[in-house]
Amino acid sequence: MALLEVSNLKKSFGKLEVLKTITLNVEKNDVVAVIGPSGSGKSTMLRSLIHLEEINGGSICVDGDYLVQNGAYAKQQDIKKITAKMGMVFQHFNLFPHLTVQQNLEIAPGLLKTESSDAIKKRCQDLLQKIGLADKAQAYPANLSGGQKQRVAIARALMMNPQILLFDEPTSALDPELTGEVLKVMKDLAEDQMTMIVVTHEMGFAREVANKVVFMDGGDIIEANHPEAFFTNPQHERTKAFLQRNLK
Amino acid sequence: MADYWQTMILPMLEGAKMTVLLFIIAILVSIPLGFLLTLAVKSRIKPLSWLANTYIYVMRGTPLLLQLLLICFGLPMVPVIGEYLVLDRFVAACLGFILNYAAYFAEIFRGGLLAIDKGQYEAAQVLGLSKWQTTTRIILPQMFRVALPALSNESVTLIKDTALLYAVAVPELLHFAQTAVNRDFTIVPFFIAGAIYLVMTLVLTVFFKWLEKRFKFE
Repeated sequence: MALLEVSNLKKSFGKLEVLKTITLNVEKNDVVAVIGPSGSGKSTMLRSLIHLEEINGGSICVDGDYLVQNGAYAKQQDIKKITAKMGMVFQHFNLFPHLTVQQNLEIAPGLLKTESSDAIKKRCQDLLQKIGLADKAQAYPANLSGGQKQRVAIARALMMNPQILLFDEPTSALDPELTGEVLKVMKDLAEDQMTMIVVTHEMGFAREVANKVVFMDGGDIIEANHPEAFFTNPQHERTKAFLQRNLK
Repeated sequence: MADYWQTMILPMLEGAKMTVLLFIIAILVSIPLGFLLTLAVKSRIKPLSWLANTYIYVMRGTPLLLQLLLICFGLPMVPVIGEYLVLDRFVAACLGFILNYAAYFAEIFRGGLLAIDKGQYEAAQVLGLSKWQTTTRIILPQMFRVALPALSNESVTLIKDTALLYAVAVPELLHFAQTAVNRDFTIVPFFIAGAIYLVMTLVLTVFFKWLEKRFKFE
């Protein structure tokens, strides 16, 4: 059984059908890159997985527990338990501006009492070390660069020990010279066997780091394959057209 | 001569004490009340939201002086229950200021809430925070920060509005100034009253500037 199983996921905003019938399996340690033109439903799909969007039909099963089964959501307290298996990194970081870097990392585990406060403090230090921002623990987000903010956001998500980490265009809001430091942290995570689903426009990352590339267009998955096969030998016309526009 | 200054200024300082007392009571009660009103406006229970909106509309849409006169002189004239509604003038005035200013503070807080990005709620949700934790730990501190300049402005207005007590015959700063002007045929007490108001608003302005600096998050 896959770690994440999505089948026949449907989602509409009013009359607009954003996701038609999405079916996708993610195995443990997979790094899945989701690419496609804007408006193709990539972000909506990702947000549905962690219940930031309500879906209208289909199933989402995380590590054996159904968040939604054939369109019917689990009970409220179960939803919390199931979504807690995932973490999310946003395009605009969404750090809490009134808290320091350290407080941003510690607030959720502290309030939810997932561990002792000593253990939380220790992991916070370790993670800041890992993303290279140990010296910024007492800084406020306003005093960080975009790349630093996004690295902090990744560390904040990791504090909750997620089994799957979701990235919603993590580098799209960054100046080009700052994307590298964020992609580096993500690459390190992949090497540490973190299971990740990454909605991205970074073809280089999809090609080098992902072990599976999913191409979406018009609310459907058009093609999914290993990166090598996907980029060198795309099967579908729409994939070919997209790659032609985006690989130069 | 020194005696004269004393007989003029001492009552005015006494009046200023009344002004400060009213200010403190009004601000301490109307800010939390205003926040509850904001929550009521945003409530999913429609009649509650409708009621709160109507309240704010009426309180902001009519003169504070009219509201004060109504509470001090109007309520006792209500048939049957009127005789039980005769309040101490100062208490009645406090009530009037609280009810009126709560409506303004409610709007200020609503503005503060509007300024908070929906990404803040989403980040809190995916981290597993409850609604209560999100409100108290994430949203309120940010709302407060955004609302500070407007709160400061409104507080200065409140200090000056306390002069309306004059109209309902509560002896405050302006009342004693006016008395001295009439009695001694000099306008000096007006300038002294003005200076005392300036000192009070200065203290307030400095306090709020300090708060803004303290909650800059940089």
